[in-house]
Amino acid sequence: METVIPKTSVVLSTLLRADFTTQWRNRRAVMLTLIVPVIILVSWKGLIPTFGGPFALSNSITIGLFASGLMGYSNTVARDRDKGIFQRLRVAPVPSWAIMASRLMVQLAMILLITTAVFIIGKDYDGITLTPIAYILTYFTAIIGGAVSLSLGQMIVGWIKNPETVNSTTRLVYLAFIIIGMFGELNQLGEAVHNAVQWSPYGTVKTILAAGMEPERWNSNASIALLAAILYTIVFATLGIKWFKWNTK
Amino acid sequence: MDQESTNILTVDGLNVSYGNFQAVQNVSFDVRKGEIFGLLGPNGAGKTSTLSAIEGLLKPQSGAIIVDGNNAKEKPLHARASLGVQLQSTSFQPELYVVEVLQLYAGIYGVPLSKDTLTAMLKDINLEDSATKKFGQLSGGQQQRVSLLIATIHNPRLVLLDEPTSGLDPQSRRQLWERIEAIREKGNAVLLTTHSMEEAEAVCDRIAIIDHGKVIIIDTPQAIIDKYRNDPEVISVSRRGKITLEDVFIALTGKAIRA
Repeated sequence: METVIPKTSVVLSTLLRADFTTQWRNRRAVMLTLIVPVIILVSWKGLIPTFGGPFALSNSITIGLFASGLMGYSNTVARDRDKGIFQRLRVAPVPSWAIMASRLMVQLAMILLITTAVFIIGKDYDGITLTPIAYILTYFTAIIGGAVSLSLGQMIVGWIKNPETVNSTTRLVYLAFIIIGMFGELNQLGEAVHNAVQWSPYGTVKTILAAGMEPERWNSNASIALLAAILYTIVFATLGIKWFKWNTK
Repeated sequence: MDQESTNILTVDGLNVSYGNFQAVQNVSFDVRKGEIFGLLGPNGAGKTSTLSAIEGLLKPQSGAIIVDGNNAKEKPLHARASLGVQLQSTSFQPELYVVEVLQLYAGIYGVPLSKDTLTAMLKDINLEDSATKKFGQLSGGQQQRVSLLIATIHNPRLVLLDEPTSGLDPQSRRQLWERIEAIREKGNAVLLTTHSMEEAEAVCDRIAIIDHGKVIIIDTPQAIIDKYRNDPEVISVSRRGKITLEDVFIALTGKAIRA
């Protein structure tokens, strides 16, 4: 009797349904991911006439993306690995890439949700509107930015096995990104930090998002930031995949 | 019918190592149709490493693993599709309800599952009222029943059970034995690891005793007892006058406690 293996499309759609259900049941964590960008957007209303709408929107989306990639993705992967959930899936006729692809699709949906939420609140509360092409371009740059944050999360979860340590490390990195990124951006921490922040993962993501919101002002700086963001993604993802172990035993 | 055609699993010259440590050394055995085969050994003997290699979780250094005619190295997905697996510590997504976990695994094994079938499956394991409970909310025995149901959801030719009765009360253990025997009655095979000699004697048709990564002996429990019945070492470790499988096991693997 010939062994029949299920179609990859069927396997992937089944995994997606389970992963989206899991994400839905974790909607409190999703709300926490959204809350910091929303607070920033609301509290920065007074800065918008000085710095412009794209400044506020791009910072908010950047923070949301890093919250999702670092605290959302890496922590669930660390937990599922520690509990043996991945091992149980891997003994089924499921290609390993499909398990991760399903997780990443959920994160892609999160990226689009964060970006859309920031757009809606930016428009309704702060009166920030963009051109249609700018909205489209920002969704594109948000996906690139999301890739940077997810690959950074992957690198952390590849490097560290203990889920509690992954949790505390991602929170520290996230806080460092918010504090150094935002204050450095506003030139509150000196010129050296300002320059370093600009080319950090946070800075490059923020730059391409802001440039995407004003396509007519896209310049060589934005193009270099885009290349840097892609480079960061490649380096982080390569190390994250290389170091990653499916179990902690 | 020749021996090859009755084998559901063939393990030939299997070697598994972790760095410099050789966990499994040249292990060979086969599991036949309609057979319950037990892999026995002290802690760290290489049982779980052998099972992990068969499951595809570990890459063996060398050796062949053939599951229902599928070479696990050449056709890993086909080999895994023929297997039903219950890991030593199985965990499912804690956010999912029991019914959703069943739907997930039915989906990835390509088994169509209607609502009626699902209800019947849960009824069969006395969990019809727990469909909308989360896996973590179930008792140990209930979790074990769900795990076994998932392991057999696609009616696999070979079911691998890693210490399936560990931590179960006598009632749950007896019930699990009956379910394992039901798998055999369908003509499928079971490979299980256990520390319980009572379990091995009660349910296994054949056993392999493994220690320090090597197979010491393969035979039926009774044949092993008979072979060593008059061995002075076995007699010296015997506690009740009557030679048991445990006496033979202790004599063969030593009295020292393993980590």
